[in-house]
Amino acid sequence: MSLRDHAIVAYAETKVMEKSDRDVFVLIGEMLESLLDSTGVEKHEIDGLVVAGMTGTGAGNIFWPQTIADVLGLQVGFCEQVNIGGCSAAGCVVRAAAAIESGLCEIAFLSFSDTHVLEDKTDHSHTYRREWTDPYGLMGPPGAFGLLSRAYEAKYGLDYRMLGKLAVTQRDHAIMNEHACEKLRVPITIDDYLNSRMIADPIRLLDCVMRTDGGSGLLMMSRKKAKEKGLTKNIIPIGYAELTNYLGGDNLVDVTKSGHSICGEKALKQAGLGIKDIKSFHPYDDFIIAIMLQMEAFGFCKAGQGIPYVREMNFAYNGDLPLNTGGGQISAGQAAGSSENLVEAIRQLRREAGERQIKDTTNALVTGIGWINYARNWGSSAALVLVPE
Amino acid sequence: MAKALNDTLSVKRSIKHFDFSEPYWEGTRQKKLVLQRCKVTKKYQHFPRPVSIFTGRKRDIEWSEVSGKGQVYSYTVTERGPPAFRGQEPYALVCVTLDVGVNFVANIVHCTVEELKVGMKVKPYWHTLDDGTHLFMFQPDKDAK
Repeated sequence: MSLRDHAIVAYAETKVMEKSDRDVFVLIGEMLESLLDSTGVEKHEIDGLVVAGMTGTGAGNIFWPQTIADVLGLQVGFCEQVNIGGCSAAGCVVRAAAAIESGLCEIAFLSFSDTHVLEDKTDHSHTYRREWTDPYGLMGPPGAFGLLSRAYEAKYGLDYRMLGKLAVTQRDHAIMNEHACEKLRVPITIDDYLNSRMIADPIRLLDCVMRTDGGSGLLMMSRKKAKEKGLTKNIIPIGYAELTNYLGGDNLVDVTKSGHSICGEKALKQAGLGIKDIKSFHPYDDFIIAIMLQMEAFGFCKAGQGIPYVREMNFAYNGDLPLNTGGGQISAGQAAGSSENLVEAIRQLRREAGERQIKDTTNALVTGIGWINYARNWGSSAALVLVPE
Repeated sequence: MAKALNDTLSVKRSIKHFDFSEPYWEGTRQKKLVLQRCKVTKKYQHFPRPVSIFTGRKRDIEWSEVSGKGQVYSYTVTERGPPAFRGQEPYALVCVTLDVGVNFVANIVHCTVEELKVGMKVKPYWHTLDDGTHLFMFQPDKDAK
């Protein structure tokens, strides 16, 4: 058996909310209910629980996945929390497959709900921040991406209008996504992007992800079991790799480079694909420039050529390379434990995306970015290649 | 007229140290920048770690005073700071590559937005804290060649 012998047989998600009107446990319960209803799987058959660790609400509870199992009444042989920040959702898929393959469980519920606007227990105090960035007023991720952007600009030059083009494309997609956060479903122009207020110059408001609440979930099992159950709209992971603390043993790192250059190549090799074979791209987007840096790292274009590449390409759902067709996190809202772009890719490959349906659903590339480390790029990188059954 | 940057010196700072960083903070009492160096590879590392990031061993760590001079690798002007820094905006953070080959993130003082450039030479500025330690910051090094 291998990764590609496993299937995502169903997905569920809530609408993204500015602030949740119900407890996170209610969202998780709704996801379970939806997955059971859409697959005909019985609750007692679920014997694996894999929870994205990127949760503000769950952050204060060291027994978070067990608490969820208890709340849902699930008896599981595999109970796992995946803590690689914004790589967690993609990381959950491969860990669930590994658990199924090793016989620890047969049917896994992957839970990604979070209500970090309603209740945030995140604590960064036992990290470098308390001595090395908090005393200087570095404003978390926007500050770090401000430093990253300026370093990129000094090395290669930056046409901010092209970053604006990416922002507009994603916003257009969010407007077509009824699950996107309603506050963000208003059109923007490149000038709106350029004129949005500076947060950490050159990072503007419209570069940044907005924290929102929401939930999603997946159900996974072996392809063999999916077939036995008569489940047919399955999505298969065929390549995955992750990398944490890229060049962690070096003291000086070029911040325009990331671990995606390594894990992208590894995931594509496992998938048996080249980057030019990828039909839609669903990169983790905490800041607009991260999208372009990933285009370079994955080899869609060469290092330093991101701006001309963006200029020549059309990233609309019906364009050259469909990009974050649900709006991405930046235009749909950052919720649900880093899973939104993953769930959108699954929806597209199942051809359930309505008016924004991608024409070529042969495959999709989903990524993760997790954590910010000191004077570097980002802490974790992940790449996941999906195909329909 | 040059756009001024706030120096943030009026911000109340109370810093909780990790025990393995104490030699750094002790050095700042005499306005000395003391960084970790790996005895085996002779390379510096910053921020302080419990082990050498090059060999993985605690016993390979030594502490060494450095000049604190370097050049700006990157910078960002904060227009919306965290709560303790509200009202200080705009203020700058620079990521400086020190002469000894590590990057150090800190505020820069005595500098305007127009002066701030990638590649500019900088030198230490020591800001006195209530506990007798000093916070290492940067200022333009106008005498640097």
